[in-house]
Amino acid sequence: MSFSALLVGIIVVPLVGALLTPIVAGRNGNAAGPWSFGVMSLTSVIALLLLMHVVEVGPFSAYLGGWEPPYGIELRFDEFSASVSVICLLGTLAILFSFKYAAKELPAGRLRYYYTLLLLNLTGMLGFAVTGDLFNLFVFMEILSLSGYALVAVSGKPTAEMAAFKYLIMGAVSSLLVLFGIGLLYSLTGSLNMLDISRRLAGAPKAPAMLALAALAVGFLVKAGIFPVHIWLPDAHAIAPSPVSAMLSGLVVKIGLLGMVRVYQMYYGARVLDLSAFNTVLVWLGAIAIVMGAFFAIFQEDIKMMLAYSTISNVGYIVMGLGLASEYALIGAAVHIFNHAIIKAALFLGAGALIYQTGYRNLTDLRGVGRSMPLTTAAISVGAVSIVGIPPTAGFLCKWYIALGAFEAGQPFFGVVLVFGALFIFVYYIRMVNAFYFQEPVHPEILDATEPPMSMLVPVLVLAALCLVMGVLGRIPLTFIEPAVERLLAPLGG
Amino acid sequence: MLGLLWTNIDYAASVGLFCIGLYCVITKNNLIKKFIGLNIMESAIFAFVVALGVVDGGDAPIMGAGARPPFTNPIPQALILTGIVVAVSTTALALSLIIRIYRQCGTIEADELREME
Amino acid sequence: MKRALTAALLVLLALPLLYAVAQLPPHGSASSPPYTHVSPRYLERGPVEAGAENVVTDVILNYRGFDTNGEVTVIFTALAAVLAVLLGVRKDAGPVAGEPRAMSPVSPVVSFVVRLLAPFVALFAIYVILNGHVSPGGGFQGGAIIGALVIVTTVIVGRSQAEALVPARARRLLQAAAPLTFVCIGIAGLLMFGDYLAFPRVADLAWLRTAWLIAIEMGIGVGGAAIIATIFWTMGDE
Repeated sequence: MSFSALLVGIIVVPLVGALLTPIVAGRNGNAAGPWSFGVMSLTSVIALLLLMHVVEVGPFSAYLGGWEPPYGIELRFDEFSASVSVICLLGTLAILFSFKYAAKELPAGRLRYYYTLLLLNLTGMLGFAVTGDLFNLFVFMEILSLSGYALVAVSGKPTAEMAAFKYLIMGAVSSLLVLFGIGLLYSLTGSLNMLDISRRLAGAPKAPAMLALAALAVGFLVKAGIFPVHIWLPDAHAIAPSPVSAMLSGLVVKIGLLGMVRVYQMYYGARVLDLSAFNTVLVWLGAIAIVMGAFFAIFQEDIKMMLAYSTISNVGYIVMGLGLASEYALIGAAVHIFNHAIIKAALFLGAGALIYQTGYRNLTDLRGVGRSMPLTTAAISVGAVSIVGIPPTAGFLCKWYIALGAFEAGQPFFGVVLVFGALFIFVYYIRMVNAFYFQEPVHPEILDATEPPMSMLVPVLVLAALCLVMGVLGRIPLTFIEPAVERLLAPLGG
Repeated sequence: MLGLLWTNIDYAASVGLFCIGLYCVITKNNLIKKFIGLNIMESAIFAFVVALGVVDGGDAPIMGAGARPPFTNPIPQALILTGIVVAVSTTALALSLIIRIYRQCGTIEADELREME
Repeated sequence: MKRALTAALLVLLALPLLYAVAQLPPHGSASSPPYTHVSPRYLERGPVEAGAENVVTDVILNYRGFDTNGEVTVIFTALAAVLAVLLGVRKDAGPVAGEPRAMSPVSPVVSFVVRLLAPFVALFAIYVILNGHVSPGGGFQGGAIIGALVIVTTVIVGRSQAEALVPARARRLLQAAAPLTFVCIGIAGLLMFGDYLAFPRVADLAWLRTAWLIAIEMGIGVGGAAIIATIFWTMGDE
């Protein structure tokens, strides 16, 4: 099987799975879960094969319809596209987690459409990661956005529907901004292929090019949840069903950041604009987000709200890394995109297991749960340690690289901000771990709770184990992404 | 400067329409009116992109008997066909959410909903 | 106060936008990048290479067919989303749930005119779908017309009778028809010509290319109509 066919396959397999899910689900929709799990497992195998190929030969392409770019659509798998591995992994585990969780939390008639939407969300993300065509990027972004809005609202509670509506309005405006940026770039270059655009952008008039950059950046950053346009994020991520929260915080937010990386790939290569002012804005926004997200998280009682604000803070890290624009910072930011996905998914799925078993969401109500659900709480603690950034867990190396990048770029102030942010994060996660293990239970029935069913426990433990593994093997993704970052920065000399 | 703007008056009109739509999304209280503002913004962007493809004296890009160059650019039209479908899909989902919110909360005014939370 | 402030901010926002937009390549010029880069090839060789005289159809089904594949997936996502949000809730929950549904009787004039015109509308819709090759039209346009016809018929004759227009057994398959047609033809292209959604380019197989294009158009039309009808019925249930 040729690799270009596999590249198409990674999008088509979950797509066909999603199309057939309502039909395959049977009378009462119970078969939808195992079917989606099977589909995503197959997709994960394809992702692994593509990953191995890009390690061997570097970026490769597939031309759809046989038309060479820019006359046709090109799928291009480069090192940043390797995020398909994380997307498939988290998707498969979230689906596994949903077997018991969704059956309990959702109205019965919706079950099959829940799995359909999950698969469509994953299709959209996979397509976004591997495409080399700008308008194709927009189409896949819309697939994943629409399914995301609906997944937030699927539980049927009024708060969920309002959160979904707020998310929808802000998401739709940001998609329009992206479309505006695409139209401007098309008007300036005549092409929709990202490589081609970066070649042809060099001679374009500056003001429209700057406007296109601003439109695309604002559009993608709203999707990423950066301060000050993060207001849709806490409600949407906290009120959604837990597997959906894991996917939203872990993956969908990262799609916005991956979009920013693609925009950078076009603009750095073209050397049409001096991006230093733009980068400065990003660095400041990132720094504010780090501090503000962590600060608000300290005051949250609801465990999922706390995790949602923590996502805002971590998105700040990545945006700051992108804005610092030095090699270390970009490598750290790119790898943090993957690592944070794993850590945040572990935390959200763990929190979901706690809520499922005990029925409580507030930290005060959950006191003492560490004694009755030791495995789940241990997994959450591992996630907490990782996100603070203590070695040898997954969060440490990326944040270290971003801090080094701040010094490399001659802006040591932001390295200090990063350390401060880590301290804040430390405070609220210590509060959480303290409540679980060391405080007396407020509700005595907490001590009677048991570990969640295997289909929910296994994903949580796997992700927690990965947090440790990615910490120990942390050098590998960093060296893997290095050639892509060098290619990104090359025309600027470094 | 103004001369350039007059040549590109179509684009300027789209920008104006976009800002009107954004104003509606931000300031209107009723959820459906917010959503109509979003539709206005979508129409503005579609008009902008289609206007990119216009050529002076151009015909529709349909070959066959009696077709004479110059032809309008077919690519923006293809892009906006997709864009319109995406806008319709978002409209369907938003209206469903508004229906559910109305059934469960009895109101679709944003300030009343905020107080209920 | 909030309105005045927002209006002032938006006017301030519009100014740099207008400045930038004024410097785009002049509107209508034949030397702008979009008109000189990729489009000339589509306009010159489209009907020969891609198989339809309507170059826009060439672009959406052949050159950039994968975008259209994504787009029919977006419609399907909208259907799944609407069903996921509206299905399965108890009717007696919430403050306004218990209101009696106000049904105004259908005017006999409307009813008569719709019944008279419905077959012609349906015929026109099929004409639009099949004629997308050589005139403005195509799957989406025709599918929207059929969808609108189903909606108007539901208003006239009531839901239970109108549901016969989209047979219940085949309903789920019809809803997925558009993307499934695309994937089937895409895989056929992959197996026969080596690339996903590759259409035959040799003159001998031009009949096959036209057949595939028409199949995709029909798939999009039927799928789009089924989805519009289902979304309308689901919303109407509420």
